[in-house]
Amino acid sequence: MMSRMGKARVRVPERATRGEIVEIRTMVDHPHESGFRHDDMGRPIPRHIVESFTCSYNGREIFRARLHPAVSTNPYFMFYAVATESGELVFTWTDDQGGAATQIARITVTD
Amino acid sequence: MTQSIEMGRRDFLVKTAAATGALVIGFKLPHAAHAAEGAGQTPEVTHWIVIQPDDTVVIRIARSELGQGTFTGLAQLVAEELECDWSKVRPEYADVNEHVRRNRIFKDMSTGGSRGIRDSQEYVRQAGAAAREMLVAAAAQEWGVQASECTAAKGVISHASGKRTTFGKVAGAASGLEIPKEPKLKDKKDWKLIGTSPARFDIPEKTTGKQIYAADVRLPGMVHASVMQCPVFGGKLKSYDESKIKGMRGVKSVVAGEDWVAVVADNWWRANKALKALPVEWDVGENGNVSSESIMCFLRTGIEAKEAPVARKDGDAAGALAGAAKIIEAEYHAPYLNHATMEPQTATALVTDDRVDVWVGTQNGEATIAAASETAGIPLENVYVHKMHAGGGFGRRGPHQEYTKQAVKIAQTMRGTPVRLQWSREEDMRQGRYRPVALVKLRAGLDQNGNWTGWHVRQADQSIIIAVRPAMIKDGVDPINTRCFQDNPYAVPNFTNEYAMRNTHVPPGFWRAVAHTNNPFFRECFIDELSLAAGKDPYQFRRPLLQGKKDLGVLDAVAKAAGWERPAPAGIHRGIAVVDSYGSFTAAVVELSVEGGKVIDVKRVIVAIDCGHVVHPDAVKAQMEGGAIWGLSAVMHEEITIENGRVVQSNFSDYPVLRLAETPPKIETIIMPTGGFWGGVGEPPIGAVIPALCNALFAATGKRVRSMPLKNHGFSYKT
Amino acid sequence: MAGKNEAGSSARPGRRRALQSLAAGACLIVVRPAAATPERLAAALRETFGDRQIKRGKVKLELPRLAESGNVVPVTVTVDSAMTERDNVKSVHLFAERNNLPRILEVQLGPYNGKAVVSSRVRLAITQQVLAVAVLSDDTLWSAAAEIEVTVSSCG
Repeated sequence: MMSRMGKARVRVPERATRGEIVEIRTMVDHPHESGFRHDDMGRPIPRHIVESFTCSYNGREIFRARLHPAVSTNPYFMFYAVATESGELVFTWTDDQGGAATQIARITVTD
Repeated sequence: MTQSIEMGRRDFLVKTAAATGALVIGFKLPHAAHAAEGAGQTPEVTHWIVIQPDDTVVIRIARSELGQGTFTGLAQLVAEELECDWSKVRPEYADVNEHVRRNRIFKDMSTGGSRGIRDSQEYVRQAGAAAREMLVAAAAQEWGVQASECTAAKGVISHASGKRTTFGKVAGAASGLEIPKEPKLKDKKDWKLIGTSPARFDIPEKTTGKQIYAADVRLPGMVHASVMQCPVFGGKLKSYDESKIKGMRGVKSVVAGEDWVAVVADNWWRANKALKALPVEWDVGENGNVSSESIMCFLRTGIEAKEAPVARKDGDAAGALAGAAKIIEAEYHAPYLNHATMEPQTATALVTDDRVDVWVGTQNGEATIAAASETAGIPLENVYVHKMHAGGGFGRRGPHQEYTKQAVKIAQTMRGTPVRLQWSREEDMRQGRYRPVALVKLRAGLDQNGNWTGWHVRQADQSIIIAVRPAMIKDGVDPINTRCFQDNPYAVPNFTNEYAMRNTHVPPGFWRAVAHTNNPFFRECFIDELSLAAGKDPYQFRRPLLQGKKDLGVLDAVAKAAGWERPAPAGIHRGIAVVDSYGSFTAAVVELSVEGGKVIDVKRVIVAIDCGHVVHPDAVKAQMEGGAIWGLSAVMHEEITIENGRVVQSNFSDYPVLRLAETPPKIETIIMPTGGFWGGVGEPPIGAVIPALCNALFAATGKRVRSMPLKNHGFSYKT
Repeated sequence: MAGKNEAGSSARPGRRRALQSLAAGACLIVVRPAAATPERLAAALRETFGDRQIKRGKVKLELPRLAESGNVVPVTVTVDSAMTERDNVKSVHLFAERNNLPRILEVQLGPYNGKAVVSSRVRLAITQQVLAVAVLSDDTLWSAAAEIEVTVSSCG
């Protein structure tokens, strides 16, 4: 089966002061089909889900999620991070059909 | 004629919430809930019961009154144990917002599945008993005596020493006591109120026209809206041209959703007129070519599939059929049906930045508050649902809250202004949640003595439950749609029930009695065919197969009432059927004559029910009569057809229902509760009447009808 | 007294019911007494946490008390922790008592998060209990449970 991984969106503040705790929101377009639904003739619709989601901050992992079928379609996460230095946050999603998506956000951290 | 609530004619309370400074406009609707908190409010004895100083007994009702009598029946169950003065009882709807804030303290609010009485009866009786114990304890405390020495009757508490007081006087003290966890319930032989038929609380106002429905709500500054949804289910709104209606009188705005567009105006007729004039383009999606014919083809693939999921398998049906002396085979069909509630889908919503109010005749207050909260993005504790008696529910107004969500969405565009959304009759007819279409193939085998040895049923129909509770589908079998077959009471040694799900784009819903509207028709008419093939009387053919089942009791009762063992008078023909559903057992005999081979004159309908216990006999009788009428209407008149992906019917002109002139002169009801269980009453009466009529029709004409409605076969009722 | 569920019940003052409390050796705290936790959830907890004791507290689980369809239910888990190097939350696990599969999601956190808060949107098939378990840096387990009613699933 082909992956139906779609586009991802993230919301990270562009700037922060050092030590500030910033809010991060993320979403990826994905049917996240649970495998428990049925089609029009009662046959199970195969499972197809985002399995993992990670966030790295200047190469260091600061968030990792393992998703199961009960996460809603277009998986969404909100979490926090301590702004330590300017740099890049890299978000990656991978699904059970080899699909992957990446988003990058830059943050400028001042004193 | 609608009755509006005018300022000054009803109690009109304007409260200002001091903390937020928000203006809260409230008014006392009949049966409206009152918040537990608030200045001058009498404290509750328990959350179920408030007793005013003047001994008025306010009983909170969690379920909805749809005309089925539950509002009164539940109050009776409480009052029986409470030992209050029934003449002082005033039921009111439990407030939905309060219910959520108090962690669902009023339990289940959903009104469906004929559950209102049978699912509530134990805990509402306990509610009454607990409150009585508290009131008695409060009096005993005041008098310095043992509670066990006191008795309560008709709202008066007495002690052997001669001391007396009333509920109203001790309610305040009682409210401070702990609620007994396991109050003692009366023995049913001691019931004084349960089993009687006191005047119902809803009937007078429904008869005089004073009943306020959601459509009657009028609030200061209110605007009115009419909505159109994509006529092809699953389609989306593409565009609309507001400029074409901007100048029309009274029009205020146009609001659109993903698959709907609504016009808001200063009165509903202007809103609807402008809506009809509004140019709208739809992206109808994939189902623009679906028709009743193509749906039939789709169902047929289910009948003809080599294999289908098995709902039940006893013995070896294939083997029994292969070895049968006689095989009877038939295909039956039933169409889509609409609830066609007399009150179209209607909701009034008022949205501010931090609060939502909704006035609606809902079958489930919780479904409404959840839908309103999610739509507005406002937390549940700031959403207020004002439940109104519904102008017919029948399953339309519970799980489907589109009108609530639309009203809230429109109200969000004009915060602080109440918006009354009412679907037009056409919209209501074409955007229903329909009793699904079904095709079924039945094969049965008889041995040389006419005994029924084997049975194979292959169903092809549309699942309803898949949309709301998909977890119930196991291995492709729908447990609700297979009722009547997979749980049938007949002692047939070899039986296979297969189910081939075939879902279309037409949205399904729970129509009153659900699968017990078409499956009994298929089953009980087919059994009639078997009895004929076996050369046996249809009543006598069934009897040995129902030994030990409660179905036999009601079957025997209708046969006896009909004088079945004697031949019918000349020109009169009879049909019989038996169905159990929703925990109850029902049977029916229909007596009719046919004129000119086509005009059906129903002389008498006899319906029997064993529902275990009866709370309000007159309400049960009304449900039996109403259920019979519901069935007679569907079997003759009702059909929703599809063309170009959309519903053809628009109003009662092309979706007729039974008229007064067609109603049989006699509907005899036999209420025979055998105790030991609590069965439902709202839906059970329907299932047996439909096949009983069709079986009588066969007796009269020799014509076996295997699809509904009868009008498609040239039949009509005599008027 | 919120329409939202938070760890702890909304019993009226003066009528507070005894909550099911942790018995020595018992593994799990449930909001609802009496009814046994379905086996699937119990098995999942054993699989994840072995026989380690899961205590009640430190965790706040927010989800609406009612949901219409249960398809998109917003959930927020907050763990009371300073999120320092020495004292922080290592992971948060979310379970549904009556879904086909009890696991919903697992999240790994650390002091770099600053706050031990995670929000997501989840599918809850029917009325049931949701459980959030947090593993702290000292390897203790803390939890909160909340009940949600899915209204569309009550039908004919």
